[in-house]
Amino acid sequence: MQNKIFKTMIFIGMVSVLFSVSCKKKIDDAYLNPNAPVIVPIESILSGVIGSFTAFFSSAGTGYGVQADGILLGRYIQYWGSQTNAELYGTMGFPGSPASASDNTGGLWAAVYYGQGQNVNKIIQWGAEQEKWDYVGVGYAIRAWGWLELTNIYGEAILKEAFNTNLSTFKYDTQPEFYDSCRVICHRALTYLNRTDGKVSQANLAIGDFYFYNGDVNKWKKFVYGILARSYINLSGKADFLSKGYADSAMKYANLSLATNADNALVKVKGGLTSQVNNFFGPFRGNIGAIRQASYPADLMSGNNAQAFTGVADPRRFYMLRENINGTFKGFTVWLGSGGLATNDYPFNFWGPVIPATGPIVPSSTGAPVVDSSRYLYQNTSPWPMMTASEMQFNIAEAAYRKGDKATALAAYTNAISLNFDMLTTTYSQNIRAANVITPAVKAAYLANPAVVPLAASSLTLSQIMLQKYIALYAWGVQLTWTDMRKFHYTDLDPVTGNQVYAGFTPPTSTNLISTNNGNWVYRCRPRYNSEYLYNIPELTRIGALNLDYNTYKPWFALP
Amino acid sequence: MRKFTNRLMAILFFLVPLTSLAQTSISGRVVNDKDGTPVVGATVLVKGAKNGTKTDANGNFTITANKGDVLVVTSVNFVPQQIKVKDGNVIVNLATADVTMDEVVVTAMDIKKNPRELGYSVQTVKGSEIAETQRENFVNSLQGRVAGLTVTPTTGAAGASSGIILRGFNTMSGTNQPLFIIDGVIIDNTTFNSNSYSGSGVGLASDGNNRNIDNTNRIADLNPNDIESVTVLKGPEATALYGSQASGGAIVITTRKGKGTGGKLLVSYDNNFRMQKLTRFAKINDEYGPGTSNGVPTAPPLLGQFTSFGPKWATGTKIYNNRDQFFETGFSQTHNLGLEFGTKNVGFRASGQYLNNKGVIPHNFYKKYSFKLSNTTSIGKYITVTPSVAYSNADNVKPTKGASSYLMSLYQWPANNDITRYEDDYGGKLTLFNANYNSDFDNPLWSAKNNTTGDITKRWVATLGIDIKPFSWLTVAGRFGYDTYKTEGYVFIHPQSFYLTAATLGTQDNYYRKYKGYNHTITASAKKEWKGFTGKLLVGTMWQDFETQAFGVFGNHVADSLVAGKLYKNGSVINGFNPRDSNQTAVGSRTRLLRNYFNEPNRIIFRELAYFGEVSIGYKNVAFLTYSHRFESASPIPKANRNYNYPGASVSFIVSDIFPFLKRGNIVNYWKLRGSLANTARLNDPYSNQSFFVNNQNSSTIPGNTYGFTNANPYLTPESQETFEIGTEIRFLNSRITVDAAYYNTLCTNQITQGYRASYATGYILNTTNSSSLRNEGIEIVMGISPIKKRNFSWDINFNFNHMWSKVLSLPASIGQFNDFYNSDTYISNVRGGLIRGNSTGTITGSTYQRNNAGQIIISATTGLPLTNAGNQLIADRTPDFTLGTLNTFKYKNWTLSFLWDLKMGGDIYNGTDQVLTGIGKSARTADRNTPIIVNGVLNDGLQNTANPTKNTIVVIPYFLSTYYTTMPDEEFIQKDVNWLRLRDITLNYRFSEKITKRIKGLKGFSMFITGNDLILSTNYRGADPAVNANNPGSSGVGGYGLDLGNAPTPISLSFGLRANF
Repeated sequence: MQNKIFKTMIFIGMVSVLFSVSCKKKIDDAYLNPNAPVIVPIESILSGVIGSFTAFFSSAGTGYGVQADGILLGRYIQYWGSQTNAELYGTMGFPGSPASASDNTGGLWAAVYYGQGQNVNKIIQWGAEQEKWDYVGVGYAIRAWGWLELTNIYGEAILKEAFNTNLSTFKYDTQPEFYDSCRVICHRALTYLNRTDGKVSQANLAIGDFYFYNGDVNKWKKFVYGILARSYINLSGKADFLSKGYADSAMKYANLSLATNADNALVKVKGGLTSQVNNFFGPFRGNIGAIRQASYPADLMSGNNAQAFTGVADPRRFYMLRENINGTFKGFTVWLGSGGLATNDYPFNFWGPVIPATGPIVPSSTGAPVVDSSRYLYQNTSPWPMMTASEMQFNIAEAAYRKGDKATALAAYTNAISLNFDMLTTTYSQNIRAANVITPAVKAAYLANPAVVPLAASSLTLSQIMLQKYIALYAWGVQLTWTDMRKFHYTDLDPVTGNQVYAGFTPPTSTNLISTNNGNWVYRCRPRYNSEYLYNIPELTRIGALNLDYNTYKPWFALP
Repeated sequence: MRKFTNRLMAILFFLVPLTSLAQTSISGRVVNDKDGTPVVGATVLVKGAKNGTKTDANGNFTITANKGDVLVVTSVNFVPQQIKVKDGNVIVNLATADVTMDEVVVTAMDIKKNPRELGYSVQTVKGSEIAETQRENFVNSLQGRVAGLTVTPTTGAAGASSGIILRGFNTMSGTNQPLFIIDGVIIDNTTFNSNSYSGSGVGLASDGNNRNIDNTNRIADLNPNDIESVTVLKGPEATALYGSQASGGAIVITTRKGKGTGGKLLVSYDNNFRMQKLTRFAKINDEYGPGTSNGVPTAPPLLGQFTSFGPKWATGTKIYNNRDQFFETGFSQTHNLGLEFGTKNVGFRASGQYLNNKGVIPHNFYKKYSFKLSNTTSIGKYITVTPSVAYSNADNVKPTKGASSYLMSLYQWPANNDITRYEDDYGGKLTLFNANYNSDFDNPLWSAKNNTTGDITKRWVATLGIDIKPFSWLTVAGRFGYDTYKTEGYVFIHPQSFYLTAATLGTQDNYYRKYKGYNHTITASAKKEWKGFTGKLLVGTMWQDFETQAFGVFGNHVADSLVAGKLYKNGSVINGFNPRDSNQTAVGSRTRLLRNYFNEPNRIIFRELAYFGEVSIGYKNVAFLTYSHRFESASPIPKANRNYNYPGASVSFIVSDIFPFLKRGNIVNYWKLRGSLANTARLNDPYSNQSFFVNNQNSSTIPGNTYGFTNANPYLTPESQETFEIGTEIRFLNSRITVDAAYYNTLCTNQITQGYRASYATGYILNTTNSSSLRNEGIEIVMGISPIKKRNFSWDINFNFNHMWSKVLSLPASIGQFNDFYNSDTYISNVRGGLIRGNSTGTITGSTYQRNNAGQIIISATTGLPLTNAGNQLIADRTPDFTLGTLNTFKYKNWTLSFLWDLKMGGDIYNGTDQVLTGIGKSARTADRNTPIIVNGVLNDGLQNTANPTKNTIVVIPYFLSTYYTTMPDEEFIQKDVNWLRLRDITLNYRFSEKITKRIKGLKGFSMFITGNDLILSTNYRGADPAVNANNPGSSGVGGYGLDLGNAPTPISLSFGLRANF
């Protein structure tokens, strides 16, 4: 009996072991998802991540990046206004209360955390595994860019706990931590971008970044230096800007950064018959038909600003702005929309007038002309700058000026304007009427105008630097310009001229400002609604983001 | 392995008849010794042999045996008897007694146990009882017959799916459907889930939803007439043995098998002819004409606006009863044929069914035929094999359901228009008011014809049971099953449909799905008795390998163009479509499931290997202790966490036998106390822990990739489910009254929350983590009373009482205290089945009235209308207070009458249909719109939260202020505490006496019956039918039960037929 049981058990045991080995393997085989890719070439990830600089476009989410937010934020720096303006200034795209369900101005949040997020992590992780150090460096560069731009727009945000997939609520970190982290990551990026060993290859990098730097690691390095330069110049309003050597750092890194327009960081698009390969600001996408330039840049570039560049007609206005039926350049008072403008002063939309088959041209048309006759950044295939050589020269000019090195400041200031002119004539020369084309003579004449470029370095003002930068970053640099203007609290005075640095810039007061702002102007965006206002409440409460005037909280760089 | 077993089964199937021998046939009758009433379903076995039979409705049996053999006759509630076979007929008088000693119930792993041993509750429903209900989807017949079991039919359409929930919802994200086991083999009961999760799943290529589409739950392929009995394992211990797959409980089906007939051929035939009619509808108001708001008539050409906020129809306007013109009388016929034949050791049973059901909705049908052949063969003394093979073919066409369906069109249709004129000569839509076909609502008749879903499923199920008893103390049993089917289906939306834009020109989903499931269970059980102790040891292994393969293609432009009301394809006018032809769509418009782009199917593969053991110790048949443990390893879990195990234990005491004095006076006959405790695991869906890339279309030189929405956590571990149950069973007064009561408590922790939202800081939009928990508790009481038990008249009543409650204990931290976690499939209009911490699993969330601190509704001081909170707040709880099924059976001579009442008390319902109809001025609640009203509430004037809020005195006349209706929050359409009392099934059966049947040669039994389903529904629900599901069982988690939007109610049915045995 015992023997029988024993034998039976041995037999069953042997069969079980044999069976179990083959079954375990079959279970292993069934684990991985056979339907959807869980591992892909990093080359195929990078293009989408670059797309998330401007306007991400995947089958799981679209539009994340600086462009969509820029349309809304542009009003606060008075780049433009909406002609159907019905909301009060200062609502930041949240009609009603901050709790209203809107993802407005949350585009960058989604771009950095989602569009770039784990995709960048995988470029770094798999890039390192595959010894594609150039990809690793690019991944870090994009991450560094993200942290800096994110904190500049939203202030406090998630840094240390970001991308931890085991968490479902996240602690917010401070802005200085973002700045520090950004710089550390910049240096890490440079370390990898400097490597030439392993599988580093320009041709291979070009597969991923064909529509950005086409595999040119040196340009990526300059881009990283540019991020560093921004991280220091953004602090120029702080008391310790000089004492801590931030001015020197800003100048040093700007000098290492983009030097010529060939270095410009441009997100390019393929063009074609689908939205995803066309510029978000172009007529095909149709996103900006209802906005019009504001009066501030129109006046500034038409010589109509009483305090700056008065009487100087800027030849760049034919590129950047849009004329009206009169052929002049006028603009909206942002919070009034089209109100207060004479019919013939009403600017066409940025794509140019739609010519109807019969009847007069309607300036308020939000449509696009049949043939893309747009200019500058408003074309279907316009490259979109993320950073320009001109911007870096303005950074040098500002830092040097604050240091008291006015000669360096003036040289950089002049160079900055010159580079901006050159960018227009080389990159954005399309659809400019012959009479309005900027020729070397036109540019020289402008630069020779002492109202623009003072003859003596000692006459240069901070106001001139910042206003020229304001113009040079028109349309593409909304977030950067907003950072600049917040540094100067919109209306800080230039100690030399006694006027505002942003001469004549007038944000609204009282009735035109949403009451919950308590009379204050906007200083930050609220974190993305569908990310934070629904699912990260405890931290929002802690940082005060549930307060109705959270959007008026000054960011760290705007505090003394 | 699988090939081998398939072959083995085939060989056994054809070889075994050779082993048979010839014997003589004995017939007899089994009666109750007290009153002489026939004992139906008693088991008659030849002692020492394997063959046996059961008594029929008259108590008669026929069995092959040799003279001198001993027959063993057993039946529930009777003392077993042994009778020596002599010449002629045998009459066996069975004495009622405490026969609990010899009862047998099939539990997990096809193990037969005496109920005395069980420390958990099982409930069994006889196959004949199920077949008698004449329900084509047999799961619908279980409602009310098992305590703790809830069946929710999706719609009243022919071929509709039904979901089954046992003891509440134990998982928020996974499926709560129980496991189906037929003859020890796992059989698939999937309901096609239209979601394909961005093309990575096996749903529709269009990545559809379960709100608008329903497909049959596949266990409906089973022929109800093949069912011998259904045992429902709701308790913890049995499911602990079946493992994670059965964490929603298990429904164990034993099929009818051929017994040795001694060379005779037994034939049974029955049929059923049924008529169906819809009697319950949403309450609509047809008095008012078109107008978008405030009593202002809509001016041409905008007459097509389907809002009835205009003036009343002009006097003399002809008003049509379109509802009655729409629905038809459903008709179905069913034919069942059963054959039994064989010899002493070999029995065959062959059965076939033909069902043709034309539903109450035009163009809706469900046709099915099935065959099954099963065999029982004893080889020598030690081996019994039971192979079977079944084939079924089901063809089903249904219109789409939900918000965009024929039913909503019907309710919305203008009363002055006759729906019967709806198509032109080419089958195209006749428009009402709008020149643009796609802007004109779909005529319901046209919609039911042209916006349809259909599928044909062909299924093979082969099972093989092998039982080897090498020694008296050892049994080795194997159960092998192979289940495979192919489904070809489509979802078609006509080019002219309101639900598409004109540019789409029709959409069509086609799918081709193949399921292959192999599983086996091999057990060895040994038993030993020693000084009053009985020891049993069971060890076993179980292997499951299930694979679904799917091709799916979705495209638009089923027509090329629509010119002057005619649809063109390739230059010629089209007259009708064939939605089964996937070539109809434009090539460039097609999207597919992800792997289909590489000419391969998408696959979902699930594999699991398990080992388990169970030790039972019994003492003198009065006390039992069982401990079980299961070790599992399953493919959806990453390797590191893949091996997991869980224990189960149970005790049972027969108190009445431990203390025999309790039985004195014949008041208490039997009293058992039991308790059990078990853990089980629950797995995530395959691949739900692997984040995958989707296409990124930003400018790129190569196709771009980007992570999709979902953070699929690779560190998932199985969910944990801990249950304990205590119960008792008492029989009184000669077992005339039996009570079985149970309390259970299930704690589900480490729940895998799938697809919940959190900060984008995870790098994704949706997330998956082990982060939720909930508890389910309940009380179940099963009671049987036999008030009358006489020779010619008996009356039995069975009660199934169920009261359960649940609590969501935790949710992911990102879901705030007042936010809800929801399955987006349940999101209909703004309402959804959102879960909130501290509340039950049945909650509904939606928009609410703004209220002051005292709970009064706040009224706008300018409009006089209530202010509302958008979003999703807690507005209702669908969980009923209790349910009670009452089954009455009367027997008088040859007459049998049985009927089942199903009572549900409490539980809220969201009436989305009424919300839509109110919003367009068609609901009955908008009928009285001319009476000035003052909305009860306080004004929003700054005083609303003070001690003296201003009472609203603003008079509104809804006729002139239609926003009164259009801005009502979702809360308004919640109906609290919906009760129902249904007469689920009623059957009257008449068995012709032998005197009559004898006259026809060969006829052994003949009966006729008339059956009604759902004939009476008494409810306080103001909508059509409160038994609704806005999704279907294919949706995971709690799903859409109790959410009513655009689903046809259950029709009433009346059927009659006959049964004959030869």
